[in-house]
Amino acid sequence: MKKLIAVSLMIAAITASAFAMGGKEAAAAAPEPAMTQEQLVAAAKAEGKVVVYSITSRISSAATEFEKLYGIKVEASNLKDGELIEKVTKEVGGGIQGADFVICQDSGRVYGQLIATGYLVNYVPPSMKSIIPAEFQNPLTFQLINKVFIFNSERGTAPVIKNVWELTEPRWKGLVQFKDPKAEGVNANFLTMITSPEWSAKLDKAYQELYGKKLVLSTKNAGYEWIKRFFQNGLVLGNSDTTISENIGIKGQPQTTMGLFVYSKKRFDAKKNLALEPMTEVAPFAGFIYPAFLMLTKNAAHPAAAKLFVEYLLTAEGFKPWSKDVGSYSSNPSIAVNDDDQPVSFWKPRLVPENPQYLFENRAAVEEFVNNITY
Amino acid sequence: MTPGNRIRFFLRKPHNVILAMLVVTLTFLTLFPLLSLARDTLIVHPSEIMSVKGAKIGELTLFHWKKVFFDGDTSRNLFYSPLWNTIRVSLWSCIIAIVLGGSVAWLVTRSDLRWKPFVSTVFIFPYIMPSWTLAMAWLNFFRNRLIGGAPGLFTALSGIETANWFAYGEFPIVVVLGLHYAPFAYILIGGILRNMDSNLEEAAVILKAGRLKILSRITLPIVMPAVLSTFLLVFSSCMSAFAVPAFLGTPVRFQVLTTQLYRTLNGLNPGYGYIMALVMIAIGTGILMLNQWIIGKRKSFTTVTGKSSNISLAKLKGLRNPVSVMLVSFVCLIAILPLLTFAVESFIMAPGDYSLGNLTTQFWVGQGSEDIGGGEPGILLNKYIYLGLWNSVRLSVVVALVAGTVGSLAGYAVVKARGTRLATLVNNLAFFPYLMPSMAFAAIYLSMFAKPTLFIPSLYGSFALLVLVGAVKYLPFASRAGMNAMLQLSNEIEEAGLIIGIPWWKRMTRIIFPIQKSSFLSGYLLPFISCMRELALFVLLIVPANRVLTTMLFQYNEKGWNQYANAINLLIVLIVLIFNTVINKATGASIDKGIGG
Repeated sequence: MKKLIAVSLMIAAITASAFAMGGKEAAAAAPEPAMTQEQLVAAAKAEGKVVVYSITSRISSAATEFEKLYGIKVEASNLKDGELIEKVTKEVGGGIQGADFVICQDSGRVYGQLIATGYLVNYVPPSMKSIIPAEFQNPLTFQLINKVFIFNSERGTAPVIKNVWELTEPRWKGLVQFKDPKAEGVNANFLTMITSPEWSAKLDKAYQELYGKKLVLSTKNAGYEWIKRFFQNGLVLGNSDTTISENIGIKGQPQTTMGLFVYSKKRFDAKKNLALEPMTEVAPFAGFIYPAFLMLTKNAAHPAAAKLFVEYLLTAEGFKPWSKDVGSYSSNPSIAVNDDDQPVSFWKPRLVPENPQYLFENRAAVEEFVNNITY
Repeated sequence: MTPGNRIRFFLRKPHNVILAMLVVTLTFLTLFPLLSLARDTLIVHPSEIMSVKGAKIGELTLFHWKKVFFDGDTSRNLFYSPLWNTIRVSLWSCIIAIVLGGSVAWLVTRSDLRWKPFVSTVFIFPYIMPSWTLAMAWLNFFRNRLIGGAPGLFTALSGIETANWFAYGEFPIVVVLGLHYAPFAYILIGGILRNMDSNLEEAAVILKAGRLKILSRITLPIVMPAVLSTFLLVFSSCMSAFAVPAFLGTPVRFQVLTTQLYRTLNGLNPGYGYIMALVMIAIGTGILMLNQWIIGKRKSFTTVTGKSSNISLAKLKGLRNPVSVMLVSFVCLIAILPLLTFAVESFIMAPGDYSLGNLTTQFWVGQGSEDIGGGEPGILLNKYIYLGLWNSVRLSVVVALVAGTVGSLAGYAVVKARGTRLATLVNNLAFFPYLMPSMAFAAIYLSMFAKPTLFIPSLYGSFALLVLVGAVKYLPFASRAGMNAMLQLSNEIEEAGLIIGIPWWKRMTRIIFPIQKSSFLSGYLLPFISCMRELALFVLLIVPANRVLTTMLFQYNEKGWNQYANAINLLIVLIVLIFNTVINKATGASIDKGIGG
C-alpha cells in the first residue's frame, strides 16, 4: 500500500512539474534618475566589482587598467559569440546574476534573442551622447571589426587575387582557410549576407567580369553558388582565427596560402615571426565587417560600475588595447585608427556589412545549406 | 501485523531508511531529468526563433524530430553519419583497448615478466590522466602543414610530412581512445585473471595439454564473459568520449555524436542536441541490459570463486627479456613522453620552431602582451588560472565527499538488503548515471535546472549545480566500491556490535568503515580523480565565474593558444598524478579497486 501511494505521488509530482515549468519573469527595472558623474563614480566604487563577458580577449588588458584607475575589481571573461549569447539568455532568463555588461557580436542573434527579449539594456553614457554618431547609439556599438583576405607575403607583397571567384579555381585548392561558421556566428552571418539579392547580384557580375560568360547556377543564386564552390575547393575550416593566422603567416611554406580572418591578427607578425599581408582590391568584396555591441544586462548586480566601465571603454585611453593595433575601429570617431590602418570610410565600400533583419530571417537556411555541403 | 507496525518495523532497520531515501532522491535526479529532456526535444528554444519560422519561444513543435530523423541530406549530415562514425570509432577503440589491455593483463598476472611493479603502475597513467592528454600529444607530434600550419615535433625532427588521415580524424581518434581505455580493460581483465582458480589450468598441464590449447580451451573461455563485459563498458565509454574527437576530428570535419551534441547545443538549434542526447542514453541503456544479461549468464558456467593460493606463472623463456624491454619502452612512450611534449610546447614562442633561440618562459611567467595571446599573462601569474585551479580542487573534493559518502551508504544498504526488490532498484538507479554519456547527462541537467524546478530555484551557473551533476555522475564508482567493500565483510561483525547495543552510527564509523577503509576510500578517490580531469560533463554547465581548469584548457585550445593549453594540461596531469600517488600510498585506496569510466 505504502509503495503504491509513494509511486503515484512520484508520478504526479513528475508530470506536474515537467509540464508546468513556466519561468516567472523578474519585474523590469524601473528607469533610474540620472546621476551626476561624481555620483556614478561613488556608486561604482561602492559596488566595488564588475563582471564582463566579452568576445574580444583584449578586454583583460583594459580591465587591468580600469582596476588601476578606479580600484574596482573586474572579472573579465572571453567567450565565443554564440556561447556568450547562450549564457546571457540562460542567466538573465533564469534570474541569475552573471555578467553586468557584455561586449557581444552576431547582430541577427543579438537583436532577436537578447535585445527583443529585453535581456540586454542599451546605455549610452551622457558624456558620449554628442560624440558618438547616432547610427552607433542604439544599440551602442563598441567597435567595428573586419575580416579580410590575407595572404602569406613571404614571396612578395603584390595581391594574389583580384576576384573572389579565383578562390574556386583548382589553383587555390586546399590552400585557403576560414573559421568554421559553426564556431563563430559572424562568419555564418557573412555567408548569409552574400546570399542576399544585393550581394548575389554583385557576385554574378564579378563572375562575368572575370570569365566573360554567364554563371550557370546549380543552387538558388550566385551567393549560394560561390559558397558551394568556395567550400568544395578544399577549404580548410579552422577553430580559431589565431591558429589560422599562424597557419597562413608562418614562413617557409611550399606554396602561398591565404585565409579570410580577422585583420587585427596582423599584430602577431613581429613576435611570432609571421608574414601576413591583407588585400583591399578584390571584386566584389575583400572581406566583411561587423559591429560589436556594448550593452548592460537587465539584472546587472553592479550597474554603476558597469556604466563607468562602458564609458571608459569608449574613451581613447580605454580603447588603447585595441587601437594600438590594426583592425579595430571604435564607434567614437575622435579615436584615431592605427597609423598602419585605414579608416572605416575606406573599408566600408570594400567589405560586406551585416543587416540584422536579413540575417534574422535567412541565417538558419544558409547554415543548413553550409552544413550540408561541408560535412 | 498492522500496516503501521509494518512500516515501523521496516524503518527500524537503518539500511531500509537509507534505501527509501535513495529511491526518492535518485528518481528525482536520474529519471525525472529524462522527462525534462524529452520535453526539451519538443519545444522552441530561444535561439530557435530564427529557424522555426513564425514560432514563439516555448511552443510545442515537432521541428527537431523531423529535421534530425527525416530530412534527407540534413538528417544524414546532422545525425546519421555522426552516429555511424561514433559506432565505428567505438568498435575499433574497443578492440585496441581489449587486445592491448588484455595482453598486458595476462603478462603481468600470468607470466614471469620482468619489472611488473613498474609496468602495472605506469600502464594505468593514461587512464588517470585526462583523456585528451594523448590527443594533444598526438597533435604536438604529428600536426602537419596541410591543416595545422606549423608542423609538429615529428616533422620538425624527421622532415617527413605526416599524411592527413594519419594526423587527424578517425585513425588517431581510434588509436588514442584505444590507448586511453586499454588500462581500463587491463584493470577489469587483470582482476579476473588474478582471482581465477588455476586448478583447471594445472589439471590441463597434468593431462599434458599444450600451452596454446590451455589458453584457447580453458583460460579464454573462463575470461570471455569478463572480456565481453569489458567490451561493452569500454564501448559505452568510447561512445561518450568528447575531448578526443573534438581535438583530433574537427580539423578534418570528422563528427561524432558528442561533438555534434556540443555544436548543436551551443548553436542555433539546441533541440537537435537534446534528441541526440536521448539517442545516446537509449544506446547506453541497451548496452547495460546486454551487459547484465551476459554477467547473469556467467554465473551459470564458471567455477571461478575465491582466490587460488598459488598461480603458476607461464615461462616466457627466451622471449622474457625482449618482451619485458618492449613493454617497458611502450609504457614509457604512452605515459611519459606525452608529458615531455607538453613541457616542450609550452616553452616555444613561434609555433613549429624548436630551436633553442625560440624558447621562452612567456607562457609561464611572462607579462601579458596583446601581440602574443590576447594580452593574458603567463599561467603562473594569471589570476584566472588560480581561480580555475581553486574551483577544480574545491569541486573535486566536494564531489568526492558527496559521491563517496552516498555511495558507501548505498553499498552498505544494498548489500544488507540483498535480494529485496528495493535493493535491486536502488542498485540500478545508482548505476544508471554510468550509462549516460557525460555530455548528454550535462545536457539533461542544463535543460532541467536552467529554470526553477519544483522547490529548487534556477541553479544555472551555480557551484551547487556542478557538485550535483558530478556527484550523481560518479555515484556508480562509489556505490560499486562500497558494495565490494561490504560484500567482503562478514555480517557477524556488525551483528556482534548490534547485540551489545552499539548504535548504528557508531557501528558504521567504528567497525565497518575502519575494517574496509581502503575499499571505501577508493570510492572517494575515483570520483575525485574523474572530476579533476572531467571536461565533457562540465563544458556545457560552466559559467565564467565558476570555470574549472579543464574548461579553461579547452577554451585556450579552441582559441589556438597552444602554449597556454599545453602548460595548463601539464599542470592538470601533475596534480592528478600527485594526488593519486599520495592517496594511494597513504591509505591503500586505488582506482583499480572500483570500476572506471
